[in-house]
Amino acid sequence: MAPPTKPNKTPKKDDKKANGVAAAPSAAPTGISREQELQNLEADKFNAEQDLARLTRLLAAMEKGEMTEELLEACPNLQEVHQKNAKLKYRKAILERSVAAQEAENAKNGIKSAAAAGPSKGAPEAKKAKEAPKGGEQKGGEKKGDKKDNKGGEKKESKGGDKKDAKGVDKKENKTPSAPPRAKKHNYVVVKDFAGSIMGRLADVFKKAIKEAFPSISVPLVLTEASNAKFGDYQCNSAMGISAALKAQGTAKRPAEVAAEIVAKLPACPLISKTEIPPAGFINVYLNEEFIAKQCGEISRHGVKLPTIESRRVIVDFSSPNIAKEMHVGHLRSTIIGDAISRLFEAVGFDVLRLNHIGDWGTQFGMLIAHLFDRFPNFQKETPAIGDLQSFYKESKKRFDEDADFKKRAYECVVKLQNFEPEFIKAWTDICNVSRTSNNEVYDKLDIVLNERGESYYQTRMGAIVEELTTRSFLREEEGRHLMFPTGCDIPLTVVKSDGGFTYDTSDLAALKNRLFEENADWLIYVVDAGQSLHFDTIFAAGRDLGWYDETQKRVEHVGFGLVLGEDKKKFKTRSGETVRLKDLLDEGVRRSEEKLKEKNRDKEMTPEELVAARDAVAYGGIKYADLSHTRTQDYIFSYDRMLDDKGNTAVYLLYAYARIRSIVRQSGVSESDMTAFATNNEHLPLSHPKELKLAKQVLKFSDVILQLVDTLMLHTLCDYLYTLSSTFTEFYSECYVVEKSKEGTTTVNMNRLVLCDVTANTMEKALRVLGIRPVPKM
Amino acid sequence: IPSSVILVSENRLPFTFSSARAMADADLRWLGLSDSKVAETLKNKSLTEQLLSIIKLAKDQLAAAGRNVQSFPKGSLLYNVGTKGKTQCAHHLPAVVRLIVEDKVKSDAQATAAVNYILTHAMADLNVAELEKECGVGIVVTADEIEDTVKSVIASYKEKLVADRYQFPIGKILGDTRAKLKWADGQYIAKEVELQLYELLGPRTDEDTKPKPKVKADKKEGDKKKEEKKMRVIEGATTMEELIKTRARLHKVGENYKTEGYVLTPHTDRLLKEHLRRTGGQVRTRFPPEPNGLLHIGHAKAININFAYAKAFDGVCNLRFDDTNPEKEEKKFFEGIEQMVRWLGYTPAEITYSSDNFEQLYKWAIVLIEKGLAFVCHQTVEEMRGQDQKPSPWRERPIKESLQLFQDMKNGKLEEGEATLRLKLILEEGKMDPVAYRIKYCHHERSKDTWCIYPTYDYTHCLCDSIEDITHSLCTKEFQSRRSSYYWLCNALDVYCPVQWEYGRLNVYYTVVSKRKIMKLITSKIVRDWDDPRLFTLAALRRRGIPAEALNSFVARLGITGSQMVIDPHVMDASVRDYLNVHSPRTMAVLDPIPVRITNFSSLSLPSSISIPDFPSNSCSSTHDVNFSDTLYIERDDYHQGTASKEFRRLATGQNVGLKHIGLVLYLEKEITGEDGSVTGLEVRAEEVNETNKPKAFIHWVSNPIAVQVRLYERLFHHKNPEDATEVPGGFLSDCNENSLSILHRVYVDRYLATVKVLDRFQFERIGFFAVDLDSSKDKIIFNRTLLLKEDSGKK
Repeated sequence: MAPPTKPNKTPKKDDKKANGVAAAPSAAPTGISREQELQNLEADKFNAEQDLARLTRLLAAMEKGEMTEELLEACPNLQEVHQKNAKLKYRKAILERSVAAQEAENAKNGIKSAAAAGPSKGAPEAKKAKEAPKGGEQKGGEKKGDKKDNKGGEKKESKGGDKKDAKGVDKKENKTPSAPPRAKKHNYVVVKDFAGSIMGRLADVFKKAIKEAFPSISVPLVLTEASNAKFGDYQCNSAMGISAALKAQGTAKRPAEVAAEIVAKLPACPLISKTEIPPAGFINVYLNEEFIAKQCGEISRHGVKLPTIESRRVIVDFSSPNIAKEMHVGHLRSTIIGDAISRLFEAVGFDVLRLNHIGDWGTQFGMLIAHLFDRFPNFQKETPAIGDLQSFYKESKKRFDEDADFKKRAYECVVKLQNFEPEFIKAWTDICNVSRTSNNEVYDKLDIVLNERGESYYQTRMGAIVEELTTRSFLREEEGRHLMFPTGCDIPLTVVKSDGGFTYDTSDLAALKNRLFEENADWLIYVVDAGQSLHFDTIFAAGRDLGWYDETQKRVEHVGFGLVLGEDKKKFKTRSGETVRLKDLLDEGVRRSEEKLKEKNRDKEMTPEELVAARDAVAYGGIKYADLSHTRTQDYIFSYDRMLDDKGNTAVYLLYAYARIRSIVRQSGVSESDMTAFATNNEHLPLSHPKELKLAKQVLKFSDVILQLVDTLMLHTLCDYLYTLSSTFTEFYSECYVVEKSKEGTTTVNMNRLVLCDVTANTMEKALRVLGIRPVPKM
Repeated sequence: IPSSVILVSENRLPFTFSSARAMADADLRWLGLSDSKVAETLKNKSLTEQLLSIIKLAKDQLAAAGRNVQSFPKGSLLYNVGTKGKTQCAHHLPAVVRLIVEDKVKSDAQATAAVNYILTHAMADLNVAELEKECGVGIVVTADEIEDTVKSVIASYKEKLVADRYQFPIGKILGDTRAKLKWADGQYIAKEVELQLYELLGPRTDEDTKPKPKVKADKKEGDKKKEEKKMRVIEGATTMEELIKTRARLHKVGENYKTEGYVLTPHTDRLLKEHLRRTGGQVRTRFPPEPNGLLHIGHAKAININFAYAKAFDGVCNLRFDDTNPEKEEKKFFEGIEQMVRWLGYTPAEITYSSDNFEQLYKWAIVLIEKGLAFVCHQTVEEMRGQDQKPSPWRERPIKESLQLFQDMKNGKLEEGEATLRLKLILEEGKMDPVAYRIKYCHHERSKDTWCIYPTYDYTHCLCDSIEDITHSLCTKEFQSRRSSYYWLCNALDVYCPVQWEYGRLNVYYTVVSKRKIMKLITSKIVRDWDDPRLFTLAALRRRGIPAEALNSFVARLGITGSQMVIDPHVMDASVRDYLNVHSPRTMAVLDPIPVRITNFSSLSLPSSISIPDFPSNSCSSTHDVNFSDTLYIERDDYHQGTASKEFRRLATGQNVGLKHIGLVLYLEKEITGEDGSVTGLEVRAEEVNETNKPKAFIHWVSNPIAVQVRLYERLFHHKNPEDATEVPGGFLSDCNENSLSILHRVYVDRYLATVKVLDRFQFERIGFFAVDLDSSKDKIIFNRTLLLKEDSGKK
């Protein structure tokens, strides 16, 4: 029995009778007395009164914009948002109060507000920002390492010298240092051919239509995918903005009228089957199914084609570990994101130079070389067996700190090294090689190709930079330091230290110039953690001040990212609290991945080679995907369990989905040539079932995602796309038979669907490759 | 809330090695226990442990005295001590055991006295001399003394004894004798009594052994018996206070330490003394509802027990709103709850709020963290739920870290669900580390925007009890498993620890009471609101017209045992009918009226209005006036078209009927029918009633009436346990009686009722009990049917 829905429902029999009377009022009512009829009428009136009262209240509330409980109850979506909003508001108020309380307390204790955030999530940001001026005083290459690694040992080293300088800056301005305001967004991506892109083409026609209909108005085009199939496939929501702009100009036009005028000017477009304008003034766009079928046919014949973008020479600076230290989880994000960005650019045909800006130059080498001389006096003849570079580093560091004589020798070594004395270069090369070998192991595992171009490369160029800046009078001397003050920046760049040495600022300026002029790059992408945005913004501002590049023409961008956190939401560490070595992390991933596969008895169904391929794909793919699928700019929580979960938005899920589609095609028994023949014979891939169409539309969105990605470099959108694609496929596959078996045992292959499977798999493969994930045909 | 709560026994013996079990088995036999007793005892883990330690004490003492350890004749005394001695006085047990071993304590009565003594003095050093005195060590009762005492007792009952002979309850004699001779040997007394009775009455005859002849009862007495039987089935009392005074055997104020399971700490003595100083020894209870729904019939029991307990012992009872979950709390619930408490006739000594203690609770939470007894955890709700939950990986995190994170929680730095504060303790059911605080970005009705962390029930409840110096924390049986955490928490913070006592929950068949489910009924539009008269919320019962007095006496009759009871609504209805019969004035109302014209009205010369008593059985009852005219209305049911069958005793062709209160008899003259053949009116001739025209029945009627609306309610659910998935596989919503509400829009009542007030109660003659609905207005009066006059025998 379904519960009655009317309030105060009267007994059913009454209802029936009442309806009977209403249906035939003139006919002589049978079996109903007047009294009863009166009762029935009263009952109906009573119910109607109740309903009317309720609806009147709702209407009044809506008109007044009052969120009454009744109204919220009637609109569950509204309620949800309303509640969420209320919670956020509440939390904001609480946080504001906490900040105020902390400020008051700090003021009492004499702490300046730059550090007021305390040990909160915001802390790393604040801490780094504070370190920036400190860094300006540091010794050459040391500094970058310190920043990136943020490790206890080094910090101690720099403390003594930095204190007063840091104070000096803090004194001047008691606020968080800021970079110049971000420049207006420029359109660096010039599309030559939209290929399968739907959004691109729609945007094109809508822009034209709007321009024609309202030449005087310039508001940005608002075009989105429809949130609900009820509203078509896409929505153009510009009419409201235009209506408002018109009103400002003194013409009143309702959004719906505006929308109608836009639609009237819409040029003929093969993509659109129809448009609709609901009263609110949206323009709902329905895609032409013939167009979809045709595009799918294209893909099946010619493969996945990406939009053509005007080619650029791009330098992607990523990974950038330090010599003499093992790579750790802190380098992971830069490596994974940088690689994926490089792959993306390569996929759209850019000329990409991947640079590994390693920390291979600086004071620490004096110490290491001096130690090498002592430990392996014979190193000129025999390659020293340094073995574990990390402990080698620790040993030398210990001597450096404790032994004044050694310290002096170490400084001498630096000078000699920087003068390129062969013996010292040899020692330096040996040391770097140890590190390099170990790093390359990691890169190999992760399929990452990189050109090493460390800080040492810029040694000679740094002198030239100082000369240029001095002659062009960009430097100002303060307490023996030579500083540059880029426009709009609070923190100056320390180009020359008081002892005459160079800094991280110097080498980054040198690298910037080298990349712009010698490498002639159009785009420079720095994939470095978000904590260093201030530093890069200052460097870029300096570059612009120096007239090295025009930001409307060249894209120079710091692509920042958040921290890797452990499951306790704190910085990712081993159980004993040490930094996690990247190698160990990867090995653990492989171990767990193998365990997982065996748990599912996959090892019984695959050859050992296939198992290894699947294992590595799952492990490395899982680690990469977990990183890439999170919004880049936010911190993300590293969890093996989550990344190796075969449900949800994970690499494993996608890899399984991919392997399954491949196996569907494989097991259909249809040969490649048959499929090609079918595709050739059907210019339009026949699609009729709604789920076929839905899948096809999702496939076609790939181009849009790629276009968007090249602009935003937010790779999680591609992950989201992939996830939606495989869910859409699942929907399709559960309703549409690809291979049908009749009762008699004959099998029919629905060729159009099989081709659609193939198209889907190819698209997935392409997307996975952009992300740097190895698709394996069997899992 | 599940209809029955299964308590996992805390007494399962964890003997994993059979050798350990065998040893325990042998030791218990050493006490002289029978096989079955040993097996039964072994099932009770804590008792077994206690006994084993006593046995060890005894054996050690025997060995030290150089006596035989292999067997011991006084094992039953040790067993007695083992069963009665509570853990909090275990440190005094050796002294008692010594008295038994040394044969100073010889009888069960002495052993019991000894145990009582050490329990009373659990917190003090033991005064052995006083103990010995208290249990009559060294007192020898001679045979002569016994003989004399028995003689005097028998003499006092002699008359009755001679009459009743051996039917007289011997226990009375034994009891009286024992009361006079505290330390005499019970067996000896029994023998003496038997002997003296023999002397008095001679040998037993056949007559003596026959069962008591039943007193032949007339019908009335039979009814009385039935009544008595009913009362015995539901063991209780007629008023709550009486019930409490006669049945509730809880601890005396300040003697918390004597209760089962109470935990003594080095501070207990001081804390109890301070507590007594603050309260002056007054009983303090509280009724602590969460203000996230309205009270239901189960709460009627809680309210009655808490308030009546305080009343019975001259104490006070607070109404405490346990408002720790702001998401679900609403102002209307606060008001509704207080209103219902007052409706039941109770006045809270004070209205308190858990939220008033938020600051203190927060400070205590920090103390717990600092003591290493609480930690911040990031497990999700799902991870904490379920049977085999994993221990939290954050359990052992550094104290400093927890402190910082707890501060972060309070400061809004963490998201909802990202962290909780948990107590480090394991509950009886194996549930680990109950949550004490969780983050909720939610405005609180009383603390406003101060907090974004809110304490849980587990954490708040006992501490608020402590703050309020509650003496008896009375709650339902489900909370028995939380008792240990209750005590743990008070003791962890070294604050006064009240005693928790549990009683059985009251449930009612054919309804649901959980807030969530009622909410579901409301949102599904099956019922209108929390006080829809088909529900069993207190507001609903009140609206239906159930008198608070009847509800209270119903609850009192149920008693206060620990067992959960599920009661058929009929049982409550019976209490209600008893009350309403005496208290609701009668009136006449016609639910389905049919007009009747008296053709010979003018010849009857009747008054235009007559007076009718409100309580006809009461000769000095108040009265009300009703109209009379040539046209009146009777129930359609009271008229039968055509000739009536034998069973039909009212108006029909050839059959007259009487009108109540006015002494008229009606004879049908003409039936008026509408176009459709239905009866639209009657014409009758009236006669005054006399010896010759006496009708078979008298019916009610109205004349010159006003129209009102009447709402008839029936049971909302078809099944006894609508929440039971086996009984109702489709879920409780599927079990609703679609026709549980019928509304009659045109019911005629006498005009004098135009001035009724909301919730006025009436008995509509021959129909049922009705009350004026809250929706009534001056222009539109609405009556709710409270009950039919008699129990509805079945479906109509």
